[in-house]
Amino acid sequence: MNNSIIKYILGQVLKFEAVLMLLPCIVAIIYTESEGLCYLITALVCGAFGVIMTAKKPENFVIYLKEGCIATSLSWIFLSFFGCVPFMLTGEIPHLADALFETISGFTTTGASILSDVESLSYTSIFWRSFTHWIGGMGVLVFLLAIIPLSGGSNINLMRAESPGPSVGKLVPKIKYTARLLYIIYFGLTIVEIVLLLLGKMPVFDAITTSFGTAGTGGFGIKNDSLAGYSSYIQWIVTIFMILFGVNFNAFYFILFSRFKKAFAMEEVRYYFIIIFTSIAVIFFNIYSSIKNVADALLHSSFQVASIITTTGYSTVDFDLWPQTSKTILVMLMFIGACAGSTGGGIKVSRFVIMIKTIIKELNSYIHPKSIKKIKMDGKPVEHEVVRAINVYFITFMIIFSVSIFAISFEDKDLITNFTAVTATINNIGPGLGMVGPTCNFGHFNVFSKFVLMFDMLAGRLELFPLLILFHPTAWKDMIEKKIKYSKM
Amino acid sequence: MRRDINPIKKGLRIIIVGCGKVGTTLIEQLVKEGHDITIIDKNPQAVQTMSDLYDIMGLVGNGASYSVQMEAGIEDTDLIIAVTDSDELNLLCCTVARRVGHCSAIARVRTPDYSREVGYLREKLGLAMIINPELEAAKEVARILYLPTALEVNTFAHGQAELIKLIVPENNILDGIAISELSKTIPLNFLICAIERNGEVHIPSGNFVLLKGDLVSFVASRKDTREFLEKIGFKTNRVKNTMIIGGGKAAYYLAKQLINMGISVKIIEKDKERCEELSISLPKAIIINGDGTDEELLHEEGLQYTESFVPLTGIDEENILLTLHAKSISKAKVITKINRITFKDVISKLDLGSVVYPRYITSEAIIAYVRAKKNSMNSNIETLYHMFDSRVEAIEFLVDKTSSITDTPIMDLSLKDNLLISFINRNGSIIIPSGNDCIKTGDTVMIVTTHSGFNDIQDILK
Repeated sequence: MNNSIIKYILGQVLKFEAVLMLLPCIVAIIYTESEGLCYLITALVCGAFGVIMTAKKPENFVIYLKEGCIATSLSWIFLSFFGCVPFMLTGEIPHLADALFETISGFTTTGASILSDVESLSYTSIFWRSFTHWIGGMGVLVFLLAIIPLSGGSNINLMRAESPGPSVGKLVPKIKYTARLLYIIYFGLTIVEIVLLLLGKMPVFDAITTSFGTAGTGGFGIKNDSLAGYSSYIQWIVTIFMILFGVNFNAFYFILFSRFKKAFAMEEVRYYFIIIFTSIAVIFFNIYSSIKNVADALLHSSFQVASIITTTGYSTVDFDLWPQTSKTILVMLMFIGACAGSTGGGIKVSRFVIMIKTIIKELNSYIHPKSIKKIKMDGKPVEHEVVRAINVYFITFMIIFSVSIFAISFEDKDLITNFTAVTATINNIGPGLGMVGPTCNFGHFNVFSKFVLMFDMLAGRLELFPLLILFHPTAWKDMIEKKIKYSKM
Repeated sequence: MRRDINPIKKGLRIIIVGCGKVGTTLIEQLVKEGHDITIIDKNPQAVQTMSDLYDIMGLVGNGASYSVQMEAGIEDTDLIIAVTDSDELNLLCCTVARRVGHCSAIARVRTPDYSREVGYLREKLGLAMIINPELEAAKEVARILYLPTALEVNTFAHGQAELIKLIVPENNILDGIAISELSKTIPLNFLICAIERNGEVHIPSGNFVLLKGDLVSFVASRKDTREFLEKIGFKTNRVKNTMIIGGGKAAYYLAKQLINMGISVKIIEKDKERCEELSISLPKAIIINGDGTDEELLHEEGLQYTESFVPLTGIDEENILLTLHAKSISKAKVITKINRITFKDVISKLDLGSVVYPRYITSEAIIAYVRAKKNSMNSNIETLYHMFDSRVEAIEFLVDKTSSITDTPIMDLSLKDNLLISFINRNGSIIIPSGNDCIKTGDTVMIVTTHSGFNDIQDILK
């Protein structure tokens, strides 16, 4: 295995994080907060590590799938470790497990918090917390691919490991430009949202941080009541943008280059909107009886559906108090998640579409045992490999899911809390039901459970296998063997 | 244009249909030169492998279909290259593309049925180029057989100049002589442009001393080549007969050329029907129906006495074994055709005589075209050859406008290192330049260099 390239990529990621950490420093200057100093120190240390690790360029730039996966998951772990340092230095989140939980939750765009009083944080920390969503949304390595020249074509494996969805396609032949285009779309949409929120008289700081949370489909609120305190205009804007960021970015690419036909022909996006509208309709009628106000009921149902299906996790109301049908729909939406190729989490609409088509095909094969039918998506046959990978993904997902519930069950919390806590973290949503509902937080879990949930968040964001490969003996053996060789020399 | 917001335009947008042997070589080379490449192939596995390996976009489907081409973005594409197995598909592919987009098109057409009509097809279908690897390979083999002491013979300036590669034998004049001295001893117009020694390639200066075992490439005008070879003690008689194993397309093209040159040809082919076809199209050749890998048959047909031996089967391993066998039992000039290049370092260690790589020949022609096209559609590259496994490029440029290069004595130009001006072709006469010669507009100039990616004669300056 090519360890030097992994080290090099990790170094680049750290350098990149160091630069990003300067942004909270600027916020600290604006609000004259002393916390900025802690961010500056962390940035310097992080940058220094990065420079040391990239000092020696690897001889071989070839990244095979395993290197891509290992580099990606290690990058995310390193990123989270350095990202949580300032929280501890400022003393706002003194414990490692808590700070790490908060940071991983940020980078993986989960938005599950251990803080009971968000508003007591400094502006600097609130900004950094929301900013991690924005960084994590589109992915760090995708950004790296856009700016650093990694020669060789095999770096698609980096993108493959980080991008959500069953298969990764390029928009344009060169990966560098594909990554750039993705970031241009991402950046552009974020700016548009900030402007629209400002038009709704939202304070600048709130508008920026809220947009970061929406763009990455993260969901860290900057107020204790998330978004409940804002005007309905702002809530509608956020709803619309949450839905937009859950759309496969290829669709935006097609729209950007006025290929509307192709954008609307995307099957996944179509199903995504069908699911959203059906869910909104059902929840609307379900909660209408208790709210008795068409506008409010529509706003709340739309906002919550958008927030959950895109795995953002903002809230305007405590949906834990809603009727059972509505709650059940929301929990189901948690699993479905957003489109592949978006910033959202969950299992992804396209996987479900293919799985359901597989079920139909299986049923048909009982009626016509010798019939041959290929599953199609967007009018094109889906390779057997892809179907297989999706099935395995789903099974693995379920196993990790069940094991996680078991692992945190020792705390003797009720099943709804445990079930939704794992659901909300592995799907990168944020709030669940019961003791982890929209008005509560994850602070009451013990350290062990927090680590289990952290693992779930990372596994969910990186789509399981890149993270799991770290536990494969080969991944360890290669690294350790190299170490031994070096120490002998 | 629609995709103009698109990232900085650097390379051309190229669609390659078919990732076979030639397709793969093209992808490898063109990616290296920084073009935006989309590949189309029917085989999803092949597309997957190639797009994992190189920074390109892959598409599964029939390259000749309109919708697939649209999906590949044919409207904004600069060039489409069709190199699938089927000639018809390639031609259809290019025809469709020409109708939809504004791109140039290159098709591979191999069947002899069409090859006679290449000119007509090209003009009527509006293609930029029709390539025929088998024919090109046959031409190269024929050139070598014409000058059997050389390992490789390439032609420049429409056949006026030749680039010849040979090995310096022991106790030869060349062994241990400095290049500046050599030109004094032999008062002919020639230039040694590249030398490979122990796997390293040198572009020599005057005080470079040749040693035995060196692979030397030199340029000379056609009429001087023979004389030069005779002076250094190489016999230059062309072969009188040849034995070809395998009766494929390449064998047909080769046999046809050799017969025209007056060399008698014997072809051994397994398939009876194919033999009959060959005997109709090549009435002067001796066609033997039999297994070319059968040792007995080879002896019976006089492998020991043949002057040259060219195995052209579709299987590289067979070709290599046949060559090695022929080398061991006869003094024939042997030429090995290698289709797929893997384990190249192993192959180069074997004593295979001259080696011909059809897919390199094809991709060189296309790359020369692409470079010229990239250079603001101003075709300045006439020919391009890769020498010594692509480590050295020999490029022939057309100098069509006055610039800082023209009308200045060569010794006053500040040329890049590892670069040599090998000859100047002025109105059909070959000038091997000395420091006092000037390049004039209208000349074609051949450059040998270890740099790559030259597009224009201006690139030779520092």
